[in-house]
Amino acid sequence: MKYKEYFGEFGGRYVAEVLRPSLDALEKEFLNIMDDEDFWTEYERLSEDFTGRPTPFLFAENATKKIGGAAIYIKLEGLANTGAHKINNALGQVLLAKRMGKKRIIAETGAGQHGVATAAACAKLGLPCTIYMGEVDIKRQRPNLFLMELYSAEVVPVSFGSRTLKDAVNAALMDWAGSFEDTHYLIGSALGPSPYPGMVKTFQSVIGKEVESKIYELNIDVEAMIACVGGGSNAIGFFSPFLEKDSPRLIGVEAGGTGIGEGEHASRMTGQGQKGIIQGYKSLFLANKDGQVLPTHSISAGLDYPGIGPELAHYGETGRIEYTSATDSEAVEALKFFAKNEGILFALESAHAGAKAIQLAADMPKDKAVIINMSGRGDKDIFITAKLLTPDKWINFMRNEVSEYEK
Amino acid sequence: MKNKLVCHLIANYPDFDQSLKIAEALASGGAESIEVQFPFSDPSADGPYILKACDEALKAGFTVDKGFSLVESIIKKTKLDVYIMSYANILLTMGIEKFVKKSKASGVKGLIIPDLTLNNDDGLLNSGRKYGISIIPVLTLTTPLKRVDEILFREPEYIYAVLRKGITGKSTIITEENITFLKYLSGKKAKILGGFGINSRDQVKALTPHLYASVAGTVFVKKIDEGGEDILPDLKTMVKELTTDEL
Repeated sequence: MKYKEYFGEFGGRYVAEVLRPSLDALEKEFLNIMDDEDFWTEYERLSEDFTGRPTPFLFAENATKKIGGAAIYIKLEGLANTGAHKINNALGQVLLAKRMGKKRIIAETGAGQHGVATAAACAKLGLPCTIYMGEVDIKRQRPNLFLMELYSAEVVPVSFGSRTLKDAVNAALMDWAGSFEDTHYLIGSALGPSPYPGMVKTFQSVIGKEVESKIYELNIDVEAMIACVGGGSNAIGFFSPFLEKDSPRLIGVEAGGTGIGEGEHASRMTGQGQKGIIQGYKSLFLANKDGQVLPTHSISAGLDYPGIGPELAHYGETGRIEYTSATDSEAVEALKFFAKNEGILFALESAHAGAKAIQLAADMPKDKAVIINMSGRGDKDIFITAKLLTPDKWINFMRNEVSEYEK
Repeated sequence: MKNKLVCHLIANYPDFDQSLKIAEALASGGAESIEVQFPFSDPSADGPYILKACDEALKAGFTVDKGFSLVESIIKKTKLDVYIMSYANILLTMGIEKFVKKSKASGVKGLIIPDLTLNNDDGLLNSGRKYGISIIPVLTLTTPLKRVDEILFREPEYIYAVLRKGITGKSTIITEENITFLKYLSGKKAKILGGFGINSRDQVKALTPHLYASVAGTVFVKKIDEGGEDILPDLKTMVKELTTDEL
């Protein structure tokens, strides 16, 4: 297996000396397990029995007919235990941490999916965990907070900065600077200082491998693979077997938010990102002329992040991955479309990929196929989507709930 | 006898004029030199007080240009050596060489950039040599001695020793572990600055034999956080008390 520290000029390990020894140790153990059969046997057993792998690969027949272009397939990664691809990486890293003799796990979370996955993996494998979550995200993702606590994780609200995912990463890094001797920091996306981008990709590459074998099995002619990109862990895993090949087209969809103004979106690759070193890695970021990180917006907390994984940024520069964006409202339309036509509930993050797939498939011939990675499922978004799509009914329901409670 | 103290402050906190007055107050209290932190939106090695102060400095309109103007004013008014502390992205965005060149032109003595380290510094050390600016590595107690030696091999003029594992603003106990580490460093040529969590005269006094100078910052930020003009004489008194050997 391959592991890289730099991807073109991106990546690297830009951390204070205090974190260097623990990253060195982590890298060493990661290199050890790459060729350790026992590790992968255990990982695969848990992936089957606990996560529910392989996740389904659905021919979206109704959607395909309705659109009338390329055949649409959906990798239903969101059907994995805990509702998103995040569990693949969480399980891998918790197993690794146990091998290193770590006694505690810390993690950051944005949408809460990585937090939930980490909390579940820690519950399963018997390690206590602390999850850092921005106060803004806590407000919009209350259900996931509840789940993390149910799995017995400690959730620490982050009250500084923009109080979102990036600040949760900073809070976790600060914890780690004082706790690394017995604590593993479980980064949830394919970013941060090396070895994290390569390690997270390794654990997420199972998505792409399963897709690849389905492509052969079904003998489909894939024109494009489409994934949403926040930090990019689902995309890099989904794309991984195809990055060094010339086809199919690999398309990353960023959060177009509500507009192209500052603070209205999280599109780094479609023109507005600039080179930076933030949170331990070099990549493209949304920042001002002084290098101060800019606020971002997305209806999906999981895409609401100013940076992008270094390998994804690199393949954007080489042109291997094409980047585009979908707006908040396009994502919501895609959510409705696939719910109605396929009985499939996309997470708002993944619905960004769904939205672009609908547009692209329409212009492609019928003998071609597009594959969408539905990285998460949308149950967690109900407090956003129900409020948005059926405001009166939802608010009435909430009122009733409160008044029942207050009786 | 006086114990040398580097006083750390945050540029533009609570605003430009006041941060200049704060520097003057610290200088008049007997600061050996001033470390000016250029606030960054996403710092990874600051404690809660510094973090909050940086947030406020940014909200109050800190820019890198203002930071350099402040530094120039501080040097002009206090005649003290000034170091800039910041994070990689602030330098990278301007261009690392350009930032170093500008620091030199502003009269800055050295740069402390914790997330640009040896072999991962995008040319910072070389630029420092080219323009005659000290690039001050930040070492911790947990830095392996092999790594310490590797860093010292480049003959830095100063070394910043972090005297506890972790972040600024929690109290540092001057343990045997700290002293052992400092003794190892003091066998080398570099001048040692020691900081993180220093808030009492006893700490400064205990460290003085092992250091070129102690560094204190959070203790001042806490005072500044209280606000008002009155803090300036208080800051001066604090520096006096921290640096005086006998009371």
